Amino acid sequence: MRKEVVDGLFPAIAGTLLLILTSIIWAIPIGVASGIYLAEYCNLKWKPVFNFLLDLLAGIPSILVGLFGFAVSVFLHKHLSEHIYPCFLISTLALACLVLPYIIRTTEQSLVDLPFFVKTTGLALGASRLQNILLILIPYNLSRIISGIILAIGRCAEDTAVIMLTGVVAMAGIPNSLLSQYEALPFYIFYISSDYNSQEELMKGFGACIILLSICVFLFTLSHLLKRKAAIRFAIHTLILPERKVMFRQNPNIETRNKFEYQMTK
Amino acid sequence: MKKIKIRIEGLNFFYKKKPVLKGLKGEVEEKAITTIIGPSGVGKTTFLMVLNRLYESIPGCMVEGKVEIELNDRYIDVHRLPVTTLRKKVGMVFQVPNPLPMSIFKNVAFPMRLSGIKDKKSIKDKVKQSLKDAFLWDEVKDRLNDSALELSGGQQQRLCIARAMIMQPEVLLLDEPTSSLDMEAALKIAELLKSLRGKCTLIVVSHYTSLTRRISDSVLTLKDGCLEI
Repeated sequence: MRKEVVDGLFPAIAGTLLLILTSIIWAIPIGVASGIYLAEYCNLKWKPVFNFLLDLLAGIPSILVGLFGFAVSVFLHKHLSEHIYPCFLISTLALACLVLPYIIRTTEQSLVDLPFFVKTTGLALGASRLQNILLILIPYNLSRIISGIILAIGRCAEDTAVIMLTGVVAMAGIPNSLLSQYEALPFYIFYISSDYNSQEELMKGFGACIILLSICVFLFTLSHLLKRKAAIRFAIHTLILPERKVMFRQNPNIETRNKFEYQMTK
Repeated sequence: MKKIKIRIEGLNFFYKKKPVLKGLKGEVEEKAITTIIGPSGVGKTTFLMVLNRLYESIPGCMVEGKVEIELNDRYIDVHRLPVTTLRKKVGMVFQVPNPLPMSIFKNVAFPMRLSGIKDKKSIKDKVKQSLKDAFLWDEVKDRLNDSALELSGGQQQRLCIARAMIMQPEVLLLDEPTSSLDMEAALKIAELLKSLRGKCTLIVVSHYTSLTRRISDSVLTLKDGCLEI
C-alpha cells in the first residue's frame, strides 16, 4: 500500500504544490510591490515605459520563459557551479516571471480603480503615503489582490512548457532540495498521454487530470468569490451613495428636497 | 476682536497648466463657521484641498501664493509645515461618506492609531467623547464592533465627522457634507455643525444657500475663480 502511494501520483501532487508555493513566494512580494509602485509612486513620464515592458512580459509565450530558464541554468552551470542543472529552483523562478504580470496588473488596477475620496481618506486624516497604502488601500483592496494571486497560482499549477525545460522529470520523486529535480502533475499528464505502457498507467494519467482540474476549478471559484466580494464593497462606496446623491441633486421636485429647503429657511 | 485663523493672499491654482483659482484673497475667522458658496465647477473643493494640501495627491496640480494658518499665535505657510502635521491640524470631511471597511469603533479610533497612540483606555474614552460630540453615541453604543458600512448614509457622515474630530483639529473642512443625504440626515448634520462652533474653525462648502444662512458666521462666494466676501 505504502509503495502504491509513493510510486503513484503522490510525488507529482507534492511536487506541484511545492512548485506553486515556492513560485508564489518569489512572485508575491515583487508583484505586489511593483503594482503599488506603478499605481502610487511611478512618474507619469516612466509609466508608459513600464506598462509597455509589462505588456511585453505578459505576452511572452510560456515556452520562451521556459527556454529563458533553461538558458539561465546553462549559464549558471558554466560560470557558477557545475552542480547546477535545470532544477526545482530554476523552475520556480521561471514560473514567478511568468505570473508576475498578473499580480502586478491586478494590484495596480485595483489601486487605480479606487474612487478619489477613498484614496485620500487616510491622507486627509494625517496618514503618510505609506501608512495610507498599508493601512487603507491594501486592506480595502485585499480581495481583489488575492483574487489576482489565486489566478497566478492557477497558472503556476497548470503550466507545462516552463517546467518541461527547467527541471521536471517523469520519475524523480519528491524534491529534497531546491537544486534537485522533481515531478509535477501537468508534466505527468503530458508524459503519460504521449507514452503510456499499460491501461493502468493511462488510468493514472486520467487520475492526474482530474486532480489538476479540481485544483484549477477550486482556485477559479475562490478567485471569483473574492472578486465578487470586492465588487460589492466597491459598489457600496461608488454606486449606492452617489446614486442617491445624483437623484437628490437632479430632481428638484423630490419631496424631501423641498422639505429640506423649507426646514433650513425656517 | 475675533482672531483670524487662515489668511490667503494671491492664491493661484493651476490644473494641468489651466488656471482654476485666480488671485484668491481672504481671511477665515477662528472658531467660526465660514461657508463657501458658488456655482458648480468653480473650484470650491479645490480651494479646500489647497488648505490641507490634499491636491498634492493629484498629478498635474500647481499652487502659487500664500496660504497661512495660525498655530500657537504664529502664522505659518501651509506649504512649510510637514504635510502629515498639517492634515492632523486641518481635518477634512468629504461629500460622500467614506467610512473605512472596519468596525465603527476602529473607524473613529483610526486617526489615533495613525498617530501611534496605544493606550486602550484613552482611545476608548476619546472614541466615546467623539461619538457623543457627533450626536452618534446613542445610536451606536450597543454595536461599536459592527461594520461601519452597515450604518445609514447620515450616520456614516456623522461617523466621518467624529473620526475627523477625534484628534481635535484646529480647522475642519467640510466639502458639501449634506449633499448625499436626505432631509432628516442633513438637518442632523447642520445641528452637529452648529454645535461644533466655538470648538474649532469650520469651513463648509455648500450648494444650499438656506443651510448657509442658518449656520454660518460668514459667507465667502467663489465666482470665476475669485473669492468675494
